Amino acid sequence: MALLSFERKYRVRGGTLIGGDLFDFWVGPFFVGFFGVTTAITASLGTALIFYAASLGPTWNPWLISIAPPDISYGLRLAPLREGGFWQIITICAIGAFVSWALREVEICRKLGIGYHVPFAYGFAIFAYVSLEVIRPFLLGAWGFGFPYGIFSHLDWVSNTGYQYLHFHYNPAHMIAVSFFFVTGGALAFHGALVLSSVNPAPGEAVKSPEYEDAFFRDTIGYSVGTLGIHRLGLFLALSAGFWSAICIIISGPLWTHGWPEWWNWWLNLPIWS
Amino acid sequence: MNRIDLTRTALMAVGGLGIMMLGGCEPGPKQTTQNGYRGAGLDQIVDVRHMIKTAAIPDAPYPLPPDGGPKAGETYQNVKVLSGLSTERFNHLMAEISQWIAPPEQGCAYCHNPENMASDEKYTKVVARRMLQMTQAINSTWSPHVQKVGVTCYTCHRGNGVPAYKWALPTGAPHPGSILGNRHDQNELSPDAAYSDLPTTGFADYLYGSNNIRVYGTTALPKYDGTGASVQTAEKTYGLMMHMSKALGVNCTFCHNTQAFGVWNLSRPQRATAWYGIRMVRDINNTYISSLKSVFPDNHDRKGPLGDPYKVNCMTCHQGQNKPLGGVSMLAQAPALWGPIPAFVKPGAASAAATPVAPASPVPLAMNATAAQPAMK
Amino acid sequence: MARYQNMFTQVQVRGPLEAGPPLRDASFTRTGTGFYNYWMGKFGNAQIGPVYLGTLGMASLMFAFLSFEIIGLNMWASVNWNPIQFVRQLPWLALEPPGPEYGFSMFVPLDKGGWWLIAGFCMTTSLLLWFLRTYRRARSLGMGTHVAWAFAAGIFLILTLGFIRPMLMGSWAEAVPFGIFPHLDWTAAFSIRYGNLFYNPFHCLSIAFLYGSTLLFAMHGATILAVGRYGGEREIEQITDRGTASERAALFWRWTMGFNATMESIHRWAWWFAVLTPLTGGIGILLTGTVVDNWYLWAVMHHYAPGYPGTGVIDPATLPGAPK
Repeated sequence: MALLSFERKYRVRGGTLIGGDLFDFWVGPFFVGFFGVTTAITASLGTALIFYAASLGPTWNPWLISIAPPDISYGLRLAPLREGGFWQIITICAIGAFVSWALREVEICRKLGIGYHVPFAYGFAIFAYVSLEVIRPFLLGAWGFGFPYGIFSHLDWVSNTGYQYLHFHYNPAHMIAVSFFFVTGGALAFHGALVLSSVNPAPGEAVKSPEYEDAFFRDTIGYSVGTLGIHRLGLFLALSAGFWSAICIIISGPLWTHGWPEWWNWWLNLPIWS
Repeated sequence: MNRIDLTRTALMAVGGLGIMMLGGCEPGPKQTTQNGYRGAGLDQIVDVRHMIKTAAIPDAPYPLPPDGGPKAGETYQNVKVLSGLSTERFNHLMAEISQWIAPPEQGCAYCHNPENMASDEKYTKVVARRMLQMTQAINSTWSPHVQKVGVTCYTCHRGNGVPAYKWALPTGAPHPGSILGNRHDQNELSPDAAYSDLPTTGFADYLYGSNNIRVYGTTALPKYDGTGASVQTAEKTYGLMMHMSKALGVNCTFCHNTQAFGVWNLSRPQRATAWYGIRMVRDINNTYISSLKSVFPDNHDRKGPLGDPYKVNCMTCHQGQNKPLGGVSMLAQAPALWGPIPAFVKPGAASAAATPVAPASPVPLAMNATAAQPAMK
Repeated sequence: MARYQNMFTQVQVRGPLEAGPPLRDASFTRTGTGFYNYWMGKFGNAQIGPVYLGTLGMASLMFAFLSFEIIGLNMWASVNWNPIQFVRQLPWLALEPPGPEYGFSMFVPLDKGGWWLIAGFCMTTSLLLWFLRTYRRARSLGMGTHVAWAFAAGIFLILTLGFIRPMLMGSWAEAVPFGIFPHLDWTAAFSIRYGNLFYNPFHCLSIAFLYGSTLLFAMHGATILAVGRYGGEREIEQITDRGTASERAALFWRWTMGFNATMESIHRWAWWFAVLTPLTGGIGILLTGTVVDNWYLWAVMHHYAPGYPGTGVIDPATLPGAPK
């Protein structure tokens, strides 16, 4: 049975953005809605194309399957299916599925009477994906600059694209993004741990209140951001990580073509040092 | 300060910082080249406005005269390297060398005593003689690197007595046993490492010494025989590669598929060309430049802080272009530099001696074989 | 459409500062009574402090200070005590570990990496003392010790990079230098030396957990803020006595992706994802050079390295008559 004990009273009609009551129903645990239908269509088509393109390729080894974008000589035009055309259609499907999914989340938020934070946050992930596969290739004038769809082949793209700038770790936006990723990981560990340590206290102890959570962090580092604040902080850190990741790749090529270490010369050459 | 002022100040600060950082950016048009399988990220992206343009190559001082007539060894005294060259061509080459290297106000007097052109009293003349041998050796034995374009004095000198890009052995810690001023030959903000923090000792280790650059593991599993390179050694080679990239105005994927840096079958032919280049530079630094140590005067225009003569690296010739001088060959105007010329022997001593510019090529067979791969497109 | 989305606190309450529950088995009292900060209150709690210093805390801070000073003074000395150049070149400056010639010796001249050893020792001591402190602070409040163990996972990664792996390799030269750009150089050179770390399966796992952690925090943070109007941030109450905030949060994910965590289990997911990031990463580091020398070749051996059209280039060194 797909319904949770308390679920029935929440399954009300309304809240859809498009289609009125037409798609306002559930399949098992899933809410459908107009955007559920578009998600299903684009996601299935994209997945089917991945499988079809893979079937034309040399391997069924899941680590090795790779569906690559066209040669950059195709510029921003469409390429023949087997020479990057599959990649182009799959990318369109993926963006369609991601955006549909976000809008479906909006409908669910409206249905549940909650804020739009999740679809907003998901928008950053879509932005990062679109930066890699659309914005940067568009700025450089060829779809061939997108990454291929393959588990390890996309890592080769990351590696080679990084070494196009000799040493990608010197990319300032990459530095910021990685720092945000690490800090997010740390903050998540501490938040998860703090809640668990309150509701799973020392043996024989009663469950602890947020007062204890605050006291633990104040005792340890002098400040506790609080139960509401930690979720704002976590969301901010996580979205910043995604945002700066997108920035770090958009600027690589369109705004900077040399080694990233060299970029720092502006700092060394500031007039204030002399 | 009220809140609006604060906001405004903050906005200005952020905006100012943003502008400063964008100041280092290149929004202009790009030139892109794909050098490998699609989607693998094997691309060169060059900002057209910041591309190193080929400087104007000077015209020959006067048209190359026909070969023939008396040999330089007959006409002049004390001609050691070019005695078998015809006097006409010899004079032409001298005029070119003067144009390529000597400061204009000095001309021939940069190397020669005008009173006695044959005299070796000026050290520059001794150096020039050795450099002529070097240039001939480069063009004849290092064709896998310089290919059919070859080099002339101008490739490095570009009108300067001492080439603009050179290096000397590092001094090491300024105060031995102390951390004062000790940068460990890295972290030096040097263009030699493309401004990265990587070590610059790679020149001494790999372009003068012949340490092994291949730090990359050659087997999947460790051999446990103590031959594996340390990460610090890997940093040195990375520093050298930064230099090579910067000197050629290319990125790592110009030669390598970084999926596997060390694997040759994934690398481009340019990597083999570079491999010969590294050995060529070693040969230049060891066989030719170091042999002049006692000839050069002890001043810091010619020698580094440790008293070793300035040496060459990739930048000396390439100067930011993957083909020096944009791949233009100047040898048609200086055919004598193609290779060693059989010395002039007084008539009657030997019959074959008068053969003009021999296509001298003591190149090992293998080097010619691979030279075909990097083929000029 | 413009609605309050709970991004900033609009009304701040001011009352007596929270002193915190009484501490058990504590040798000190809390320092200060704390104070309010309006801007902090916009985002999170307005109260800053008090803090419990304690023996472990002060000892840890002392060692942290020592290591910070050793690193900073070494960097400053490397620019001949020039304060302007120290600021200008700071990101480039380093405190380098001993070279390969010293192996794993504990006795290295100070200027040849000895200072690095001492700084590393101080940093390690500081981290371990801080770990004990987080454990003791939790027990002093009768709480679980989950924070301490999460912190320990991070320490494991740091120790792996700077001590355990160099020990297994028998060389300090394998360790990471202190410095902003220098440690980035180390990372890149490490990957090059050992044949592309992207083919290290544990590196893959670590990255997946790192991205997963970020994804989880975005999902969780956003969910809690979205149900903030129902008191969703009162997670402990929602865990022990489920309310509508928890129900709506659960149903959001159930309707979206067919699966939901609970108010407690989401924190278990969070803890494990975050903790597994350094754990798997540390394992990946530990295996590199010790049992695998070239991850790309290892991937070829295990059929997970994609192939590309061969270029036909032959290693010139293998050709007969090649120059040395």
